[in-house]
Amino acid sequence: MNKQKKISIFIIVAIIIVAALIGFNYNHDKGKTLFTASFLDVFDTKTDIVGYSDSKQEFSQQVEKIKEKLVYYNNLYDIYNDYDNINNIKTINDNAGIKPVKVDTQIINLLKYCKDIYQKTDKQVNVAMGSVLSIWHDYREEGSENPDNAKLPPMEELMEASKHTNIDDIIIDEANSTVYLKDPEMSLDVGSIGKGYAVQRVVEYAKEIGITDMLISVGGNVCAIGQKDDGSKWRLGIQNPDLESEETYSKKVEIKDACIVTSGDYQRYYTVDNVKYCHIIDPDTLMPANYFSSVSIITKDSGLADALSTSVYNMPFEEGLEFINNFDGVEAMWIFEDGSIKYSDNFEQYVVE
Amino acid sequence: MKKSKRNDIILIIVILIVALVFYIGFNYYNSINTKEPVTVVKVGDEVYGTFPLDKDVVEKIELSDGSYNILEIHNGKADITEASCPDGICVNHRAISKQNETIVCLPNKVVVEIHNGQKNDVDTITN
Repeated sequence: MNKQKKISIFIIVAIIIVAALIGFNYNHDKGKTLFTASFLDVFDTKTDIVGYSDSKQEFSQQVEKIKEKLVYYNNLYDIYNDYDNINNIKTINDNAGIKPVKVDTQIINLLKYCKDIYQKTDKQVNVAMGSVLSIWHDYREEGSENPDNAKLPPMEELMEASKHTNIDDIIIDEANSTVYLKDPEMSLDVGSIGKGYAVQRVVEYAKEIGITDMLISVGGNVCAIGQKDDGSKWRLGIQNPDLESEETYSKKVEIKDACIVTSGDYQRYYTVDNVKYCHIIDPDTLMPANYFSSVSIITKDSGLADALSTSVYNMPFEEGLEFINNFDGVEAMWIFEDGSIKYSDNFEQYVVE
Repeated sequence: MKKSKRNDIILIIVILIVALVFYIGFNYYNSINTKEPVTVVKVGDEVYGTFPLDKDVVEKIELSDGSYNILEIHNGKADITEASCPDGICVNHRAISKQNETIVCLPNKVVVEIHNGQKNDVDTITN
């Protein structure tokens, strides 16, 4: 064996040793790798996706598919914007009292679900309340842009609008796949339920395409598919409503195959004469509720969680607790203005230190 | 024979040392390249800039339409202290310093993210 040959063999051995060392370094936790992605394209909020995948490429493909579905639902359930060749909720509103609008089955399904929820929540979640909510929306937008001139909507105006909120005036014709609003003054606002319902549909789609462990959060409307790759549960922080506090989270919870939705007054609000008015409007008083800083709901279905978090936010605690107890597999956590916390009977099983 | 065997041993030792140097060097390279906590500011899908978290700075993020957000890094935390957006959600948001924490300004499509931050013990947040 000549010297050159010997050296080249040793170099090869050296490379193998280096490769083995580096490989060892990276294979501490063999199995899938954790990836994250986020985008701002849907439901006027930020979407975060956390998931385990074999490769970055595979994860990106999964994210693209999920994003595509979310965009589809976003466009259908939008009440503010038109889209080319799509009849959405805005199209239905624009044709109130004029004519039935032919729509995608997913709009029919959503509105049927909304009617069902209206009954189940004892009329607390009413998607036919668009006329009232749009008044608040306009005053809030104007008040945010001109804080010195911020005003509350006059009660007479709200009362007048509330005469046009009868959910039975939504005429769904399943055979022809059309929706008609009988009252020309009424409009739909699916803000309290559309996002959660859409996330639930997307979660089901994700499972269909073989995703087994992923966290999908559309603006804090979080759904956990399965658990983490190492067998532990997903760990979520519940935002501390006191934004001045050093503590980012009020509580931490661990879930698997479940959803959590939080409704609160600390993000979307405006201020009139030093009083905060949030975006959640109580259908009984036509005013923003102010019993709590936030309410979080944990249950299997994201659409239900979304609807219930809004309705429980609008109820005094005792009433809300009783209301929650009527639902199977639904737990709630209330954070009061003074920072104190109350749980429904079995919420604490999810709470971790 | 004896001499060549000794040479072999020397050569093996040299190779092992070289391998070890490579290994340590690779890890060191990795650590200086990815471990420093930074604030990454994105506008839409584009990266606007990257700012180390250990250096205090005030940066006005100016957009082409005249709207802006002011980013302040102070005591290892990143915060939006002022913005042209009407809703003020980004300004109201607390300062961030942990891995995967973000501040979002939807009207301006500005996202402030922490990369290589302190370990975050939650996977996401509900708010």
